[in-house]
Amino acid sequence: MTRYYRPSSTADALSALAAEGGGARALVGGTDLLVGLRHHTIEPTLVVDLKAIADLPEPIAVGDGGIRVGPTLTMGELAAHPVVRRRYPALVEAALTVGSVAIRNRASLVGNACNGSPAADTVPALLVHDASIAIASRAGERTVPLHDFFLGPRRTLCGPDELVTRIDLPRPPDGFGSAFRRLTRRRGVDLATVSVAAGVDRDGRVVLGLGAVGPRPLRTELDAPFDAADVPGLVRALDERLEIATPISDIRGSREYRHAMVRVLARRAILAAADRRTSGEMAA
Amino acid sequence: MAEAPARPADELDLQAANGSPARIGRPVLRYGGADRTTGAQRFVADLSFPGASQVALVTIPVGCAEIVGVDSSQARRVPGVLDVVTAAELPSPMPRFGPSHQDRPVLAAGGVNFHGEPVAAVVAETTDAAQAAARLMRVDFRELPGVYTLDAALAPGAHLVHDPSIRPGDPRAERNVLEDALYTWGDVAEAQAHTDVVVEHDYTFPMVTHFPIEPGGTVVVPTEQGGLDVYSPVQHPYLLQRTIASVIGLPLNQVRVFAPDPGGAFGGKQNPKLEPLMAFIALRMRRACRLVLSLEETFHAMRRAGCRIRARTGFTRDGELTFHEVHADYQIGAYADVAPRVMAKGSYVAAGPYRIPAVRIAARAVMTNTTPSTAFRGFGSPQVAWATESQLDAGARLLGLDGLEIRRRNLVARGEAFVRGASAARADGEWRESLEKAAELVGWGEPLAPNRGRGIAVGIKPGATSGLSQSLVRLLCDGSAIVYAGTSDMGQGARTLWQQIVAEELGTPIDRVSVISGDTGTVPFDLQTSASRSTVFMGSAVLEACRDVRRRVLELYAETTGVPAEELDEAPGALITPDGRLSLPEAAREALGTLRGEFIGQGTRRLRGKGDHPLGGDAAFYEFNATAIEVEVDRETGELLLTKHVSVSDVGTELNALQVVSQDEGAAIMGLGHSQMEQLLLDEHGRIRNLGALDYRIPTFNDVPLELVTAAVENHDGPGPYGSKGISEGALLCTAGALGAAVAQATGVVIRDLPLTPERVWAALRDAEARSRADAELRSAP
Repeated sequence: MTRYYRPSSTADALSALAAEGGGARALVGGTDLLVGLRHHTIEPTLVVDLKAIADLPEPIAVGDGGIRVGPTLTMGELAAHPVVRRRYPALVEAALTVGSVAIRNRASLVGNACNGSPAADTVPALLVHDASIAIASRAGERTVPLHDFFLGPRRTLCGPDELVTRIDLPRPPDGFGSAFRRLTRRRGVDLATVSVAAGVDRDGRVVLGLGAVGPRPLRTELDAPFDAADVPGLVRALDERLEIATPISDIRGSREYRHAMVRVLARRAILAAADRRTSGEMAA
Repeated sequence: MAEAPARPADELDLQAANGSPARIGRPVLRYGGADRTTGAQRFVADLSFPGASQVALVTIPVGCAEIVGVDSSQARRVPGVLDVVTAAELPSPMPRFGPSHQDRPVLAAGGVNFHGEPVAAVVAETTDAAQAAARLMRVDFRELPGVYTLDAALAPGAHLVHDPSIRPGDPRAERNVLEDALYTWGDVAEAQAHTDVVVEHDYTFPMVTHFPIEPGGTVVVPTEQGGLDVYSPVQHPYLLQRTIASVIGLPLNQVRVFAPDPGGAFGGKQNPKLEPLMAFIALRMRRACRLVLSLEETFHAMRRAGCRIRARTGFTRDGELTFHEVHADYQIGAYADVAPRVMAKGSYVAAGPYRIPAVRIAARAVMTNTTPSTAFRGFGSPQVAWATESQLDAGARLLGLDGLEIRRRNLVARGEAFVRGASAARADGEWRESLEKAAELVGWGEPLAPNRGRGIAVGIKPGATSGLSQSLVRLLCDGSAIVYAGTSDMGQGARTLWQQIVAEELGTPIDRVSVISGDTGTVPFDLQTSASRSTVFMGSAVLEACRDVRRRVLELYAETTGVPAEELDEAPGALITPDGRLSLPEAAREALGTLRGEFIGQGTRRLRGKGDHPLGGDAAFYEFNATAIEVEVDRETGELLLTKHVSVSDVGTELNALQVVSQDEGAAIMGLGHSQMEQLLLDEHGRIRNLGALDYRIPTFNDVPLELVTAAVENHDGPGPYGSKGISEGALLCTAGALGAAVAQATGVVIRDLPLTPERVWAALRDAEARSRADAELRSAP
């Protein structure tokens, strides 16, 4: 039977994780963990609930250099935050696709993004915004780029005795636009078949985050700057660059459909992101 | 037990004061609706049974296997485990049951015939212990080459789902075809002589599951008298009572079924499934035993038959149908349940509501090693309607007609036969009115924006072909009333209608009418809650019981007051005396006098079947629906955005306008499920790959069309109270046909396999583009 532990300090949480020798799982919102527990696909010896820890980073800290998000910030809070809405529209769009209102009021950005799911909705946007991750262990804290954090499905740089305690998002340069596009089997709550976030800066430099098209979320950039007058050129560039996607066929879509859709969504996300560079407005 | 508290008057749209017949047709709020909305309603899983032991089912991860052995030693060591029940603990040979074929074993005996069929049950003090122990059960099995598709089941030498020994005397026992049906009239060969255009295509309709939001469960409590109390959210409590009595060997009065309201059923909770097993376990344990199902377990308990249809249809150049040939194979699953009747009754209307001189419909119920299919809203009709409606559009496209015009030219008028021959069926409504109304509401002739298309389709479904509903109405001395009606209220709002009828007939305010149902120990017999029958059958019984009460009030009033009975008369809500009109509750009070007491009225509605009719009788009424859909297609992704969805049903009389709209909207959205996204996918071992809510997707409110419009045609021509008809299934009969035609118009590409998922639409568009490129290259080649 799984035991439940609600520590009050990060040190206690880390000790508990270490003591279980890999059998423990951290809990914040439970969007992934509770599904696994219910279906017995995960059977941890101990669930460590982080929500009562006093010395974790605060849910969200806004500075001139960017924002820092702690494990207890919910998707709902994230999507409603005025600074986040202004600076990181792709992330807000992505957060709003996670579950339903009730789930978003519980879901943790850190928990959902750092669990290692190749289809995690918020990861492509975090990649586009050059997020980095703070990982705490009993030895101390280290920071890694999110881009390097994912190793494979459900495998990350965060060891079984470690915790992700923060996501840091640098402030986007002036004139940076971002957007998120996702394909699902229905309009209601669903897992992504393919997801893409795009960022375009003032000079037309294009960065992409790709979800559900490989064993881990991908980040890539286009060589040539975006030119609104040359969409065919963009399509050709995407065709070539998106060869890095290696999707599989599963219940949500075939490999070939995903290959085609990642191109469609990338183009749409880039055009939307480029549009936002001037207007700064998000789609409703 | 399922007596919901009467609602306070201030919630109601009441016109009780004026005694006008306005109670009928009013959008009266749902009886018990507030409890459903707030979560206060108690479903079977919410009922408390102190001291009950908890049951968990044990299954194996394949669809077809021989059971070699069951090792329960580890499971028995889990603290709190009381017992493990396998086939060895049950009578031998294993008792079997079923509504038409007694083929379903109480527990898998010797082998498993579909993925999820229980092999054993663990009984424990707690649910957690029972489930933990169930996971520790070791079942040794040898997988057999099960048949999971129609092709596999029909192949020569295919594995037989049922051993011929359980189909004694059945000439088809050496094949997987359980039953077939053949309906023919006219001369197809002769009709071809004056046919200008023929279309022939194959269509498929997916296996889909009912997905009731309440999975349900069963609790069986042995009584001190040696009987059993059975709690189950079942649509047919009296059938369950008879099944348990027969399997266990008890008189009916020793089996009392309590049927808490099903939280959605859609046909999936009609027939007994796990209740007989639970009865045996409770008798063995000599204590209450409780099983609450998960959503995943309902996937193993109920589904709609998938269907493959080949249709060949002839038209004159004016678009008149000349002949229609249908071959429909229904994939029914591992046990018969009511599926052979779904096949027979669905295919009976496979020619649609049309005037066709020559028809040949051949249908088969094909067994496979899959979840037994059962009744599901529409009862076999949506499958064949998908093919037949699509054929109409295929003909129309060739002839340069539109979907509305070709239907206008072929739809039968009132009284005209759409099934001909010895057991003809005739239109019992002005169906053209629904078609025209749907066209008008969708804006049929208006210009279309790019990438948009419109489709229109019609559907019919036979209502019940036999039935019996009995009801009691008690008018109490203070003018309040209690209705006893065995209809299961599973969300359709039956109880609200009984309140309205009593209010109308007895003059009792609606908030002073309560309804008792869901208890075979106190409520009179009702054959079934199915086939949209309750308004017509139970409604008529309640109406008759009210009129019986009125007669009794008149008689006793005469006796009490000395006014001769022949000088009295009764009317809805009133007693007419020589001195004027008395409200019925007032007349009743006066008649009862100082001893008080009450009036008890009885009503019965019986429809006997006809032995020589292929359906066992003429349908009491037909549900007719016209659906029109406007869709916008994203050609790059294949996504569909329904911009407008119109459903118009021929309802006779709306007894409650709000509930008619609710049923229509619910059915329309459910129809979008099998049309757009729902399908059970199996792997090579017959396992459901998308088992559960995460990967089996049903429409949510975000998937509802931008505009969803429903309307009713009222001609007061139904057999139910005040001219009503049943209305609960119509709006999903032809959803797929309307959507398919709309997508075809928007894209120029016709898709004949459901559901129309984004990927399927995308693939069809891609293939069409590849074909046209190849054609162009061919043409440009030297």
